[in-house]
Amino acid sequence: MLKRKVWRDLRQNLTQFMAIFLMSLLGMWIYGGMDAESTGASRVAARFYEEYNLADLWVMGGAFSDEEARTIEKIPGVISAERRMMVTGELDISSGDDEVQTSEVKKPSMQIGFLTDYQMNRFEIMEGEDFTPETEGVWIDRFVAKKHHLKIGDTVYFKIDGITITSILKGVIRTPEMVYYADSTDITAEYGDHGYAFLAADSYPSVEPLAYNQIVVDTKNGSVEEQDAMKESIALALDRDNIVVSDRSQTIAYNTFQSEMAQHKSMGALFSGVFLLIAVLGIVTTMTRLTSNQRIQIGTLKALGFSKKVITRHYVSYGFLLSLAGSTAGMYIGAMTLPRIIYPAFEGGYELPALKGQLSLGPYVAVLISVALSTMVSYLSCRKELADPPAVTLKPAAPKKIKHSAFEKSKAWLSMSFSSQWNVRDILRNKARSIMGIIGVSGCTMLMICAFGCSDSTYSLIDWMYGGLMTSEYKITLSDKADYGTAVDYANQYKGQLLQESSIEIFAEDIRKTGSLTVLDAGNYMHYKNASLKKIQLTETGVALSYKMAQNLGIGQGDFIKWHIVGEDEWETTRVVQIYRDPMTPGITMTRAVFEGLNHKFAPTSILTNMEVDNGLTENKSIQAILNIAQMKADFAKNMEGMNMMITMMVMAAVILGIVVLYNLGVLSFVEKTREIATLKVLGFQTRKVRTILQTQNIWISIMGILVGLPLGYGLLILMCTTMSDNMDLVPIVGFPSYLISMGGTFLVSVGVNFLLSGKVKTIDMVDALKGVE
Amino acid sequence: MTPLMEFHSVSKEYRNGERIFYALKDASFSIDAGEMVVILGPSGAGKSTLLNLLGGMDSASDGSILFEGNDLTNYTDNQLTQYRARNVGVVFQFYNLIPTLTAYENVALMKDLEEIGLFGNKRNEVIDEERMKPAEALAAVGLAEHMHQFPSQLSGGEQQRTSIARAIAKNPKLLLCDEPTGALDTETGREVLCLLQRMSREKKCTVIMVTHNSIFSDIADKVIRVKNGGIKEIIINDHPKDADEVGW
Repeated sequence: MLKRKVWRDLRQNLTQFMAIFLMSLLGMWIYGGMDAESTGASRVAARFYEEYNLADLWVMGGAFSDEEARTIEKIPGVISAERRMMVTGELDISSGDDEVQTSEVKKPSMQIGFLTDYQMNRFEIMEGEDFTPETEGVWIDRFVAKKHHLKIGDTVYFKIDGITITSILKGVIRTPEMVYYADSTDITAEYGDHGYAFLAADSYPSVEPLAYNQIVVDTKNGSVEEQDAMKESIALALDRDNIVVSDRSQTIAYNTFQSEMAQHKSMGALFSGVFLLIAVLGIVTTMTRLTSNQRIQIGTLKALGFSKKVITRHYVSYGFLLSLAGSTAGMYIGAMTLPRIIYPAFEGGYELPALKGQLSLGPYVAVLISVALSTMVSYLSCRKELADPPAVTLKPAAPKKIKHSAFEKSKAWLSMSFSSQWNVRDILRNKARSIMGIIGVSGCTMLMICAFGCSDSTYSLIDWMYGGLMTSEYKITLSDKADYGTAVDYANQYKGQLLQESSIEIFAEDIRKTGSLTVLDAGNYMHYKNASLKKIQLTETGVALSYKMAQNLGIGQGDFIKWHIVGEDEWETTRVVQIYRDPMTPGITMTRAVFEGLNHKFAPTSILTNMEVDNGLTENKSIQAILNIAQMKADFAKNMEGMNMMITMMVMAAVILGIVVLYNLGVLSFVEKTREIATLKVLGFQTRKVRTILQTQNIWISIMGILVGLPLGYGLLILMCTTMSDNMDLVPIVGFPSYLISMGGTFLVSVGVNFLLSGKVKTIDMVDALKGVE
Repeated sequence: MTPLMEFHSVSKEYRNGERIFYALKDASFSIDAGEMVVILGPSGAGKSTLLNLLGGMDSASDGSILFEGNDLTNYTDNQLTQYRARNVGVVFQFYNLIPTLTAYENVALMKDLEEIGLFGNKRNEVIDEERMKPAEALAAVGLAEHMHQFPSQLSGGEQQRTSIARAIAKNPKLLLCDEPTGALDTETGREVLCLLQRMSREKKCTVIMVTHNSIFSDIADKVIRVKNGGIKEIIINDHPKDADEVGW
């Protein structure tokens, strides 16, 4: 029968319990959904890596000999090692197909690999035949093949450093090594505009032996330490200074995917944390109210001989049942819905086999924690009524001692209207309820600020990158064929600034990172800011380190770093004289004078200019690509679907949070105040006046909540920006309109809920409400 | 024959800082099994305290309370709960029915007193096999017709009868009634009183009634008058009247 009582009580206090249920559900919906999405994708990726044997280590550097590959194979733990040559080139769509209007279609830039063996990084064949190192022909990624209408058997032309390679398309593929790939000049992956192709090493039309610049290594799976040890052994065995050994986490494809998954998980956890907190708060207020309302019932049960244990279990079951039902349902609903919403947006970003949501252990543990927490809170809420002997509990609780607060003795108090006095007292005397209201509203504001802040920060990042940091309108990327003289000629022709951008490896104490080196020649197209975003000039005395890289390395201004350009032997040890911020490319930057001072030869790789550059210039073998900055910014804005979806989700969550918390509180306080309201009505207050009194309080609470929520939202944004990625230096920015929208939005939610609630005042029957209690 | 219940110099005190207030002081009496006892006294005399102590709902500050020879004052909270569950039925002045349960369910609630373990094992042996079925108990109080209504749909008298049905359903040795007619009109009050007397006589159940209404003393076997926290006198009534005979 006590079980029936549970159900009937639940039905009687439907609004409050529904709020608890919904909050538990929403919390686990987001967490379960994000987890299922990232776990599912990670598992698909892991299987993909496993099935097509993604390499474990990449050794990069100068021309490797076959002996060197064999040397690596002899190292314990290494299964096999393959030499290959990876170069960048271009798919020449004009040479083959005359029907295509070449001037309008951008030639896709390609990463082209010449393979000696095929043990690792195997291809999933989408179309055509499987690869062998003996077969002639080319295997191309499916996006480029699709975009440029390439069919099996077509003749395909590549341009690599001015050399044209002709081959027959044998297969359309994807490979675990290229789960994500972006052109060095692109902000986001634009599959189809750039891609990859693999051929057998023999297909390279050269009489000289190939300059194999990579060895990929397959190892027995081991711990991070073992892998690090193996990297050391390889470096030692080859005994060359100019090599870099990377593991999977240092490759862009693997790392980008992995860190995005981790980010989704932590974001999911963060949001559900907010909702679960609200759920727990809801349980506290609801259960405290329920048990104090049912005090006499508790006393009766005790008098009838029910043990404390049974009564406790009865009251605890409310919180237990609700949170169990809510969070379990939330978890499964989330796991079913969110992956379906998110995966389509994924498909443009990552090249993976079909994804399927899957829950990890985390959400199950979270459900347990949430249920345990809710149950414990329910227990604490009803403990008070259970402590006394039945003789005491059978009597109504002694009225709370009410003291005049200090504020009520001040002069300001006397000048306040009746309704203000009434509201101040009501807020102060129902602190738990008021605080919960403020937390709910501030949570709503917080989520909105964070959502809009994310968008503001990302857009400002782009503005900063192109327009703040780099002010040129065009960037001409030179090919490997361009020598210094050619570069200077172009620079003069376009009145441009020469730039060298290279990959480097940086050491600081124990930490080793890869980053980029930027060397600036004379010109005024690059403008740097320091850590606190004040403009700085690069000094002529030393190197500057990017803020994000400094954080990753755990060092600061004045510390020493050891670095070398990938593919070169000389290691430099230099002091960091400046810290600068760069949103996208962590690394070091210096002037040409400093670079040459270190006995390096300045080898420009690109030119920045404001003069209009014709696309036809890429026909020239010295020019690799031309970037139109305005075009890039526009493309980027188009590519914000993922971001917009996240913002929509967060705003939705904020609104639901606001409505549920405020409505719940409203009903709660309304029920508690029924007698007071009835009394006011009997005394002759008009419904409108009573309504105003109630609304005033909600508006006060909303304003306080909004004020608390503003800094919290900014804090959350900072947290999200700093954990976003290793490479992006996202500066948290919330624009003024975003503040206005967030505040206005929250207020609107509050007003809306008020409107729903105020109708209830009319429904109070004075006579009924003033009859005896119970 | 040992009495069912014995009070030996029982006191109950409340402290408020330095001041000590005696709700009950040095009370001694005994109650035999099957007796109908009325505890009579004005408000604040200590009647409710007596009732609470009798029902194991509160603990004494001093003295000893023997139930079938066992001292309740030595009982732990758990033992007191067991005592209540096994031996005591309570009828409250304001009925104290669970508003979300129907009359039938309020009575059937007593079944939940049995604590069943995870494996179907009984954790306690609260209730005898002889206990009444809820429908029987309700029929006994004349509520067979209305048993599926909620308390709010019942009249005061019906609610009180439900409360009595709930109390007798577990076949208690002791039926404690706290002003059972206090909230009822004369006629309904008389009906309830008749019912209680019948229970006492037919079921050989010890009924202890607390009231400020001296008319009740006529129907009792024993009347304990309390005043200012002490026992004023104990009257043995050799020929108690029938409840429907007493004038109101």
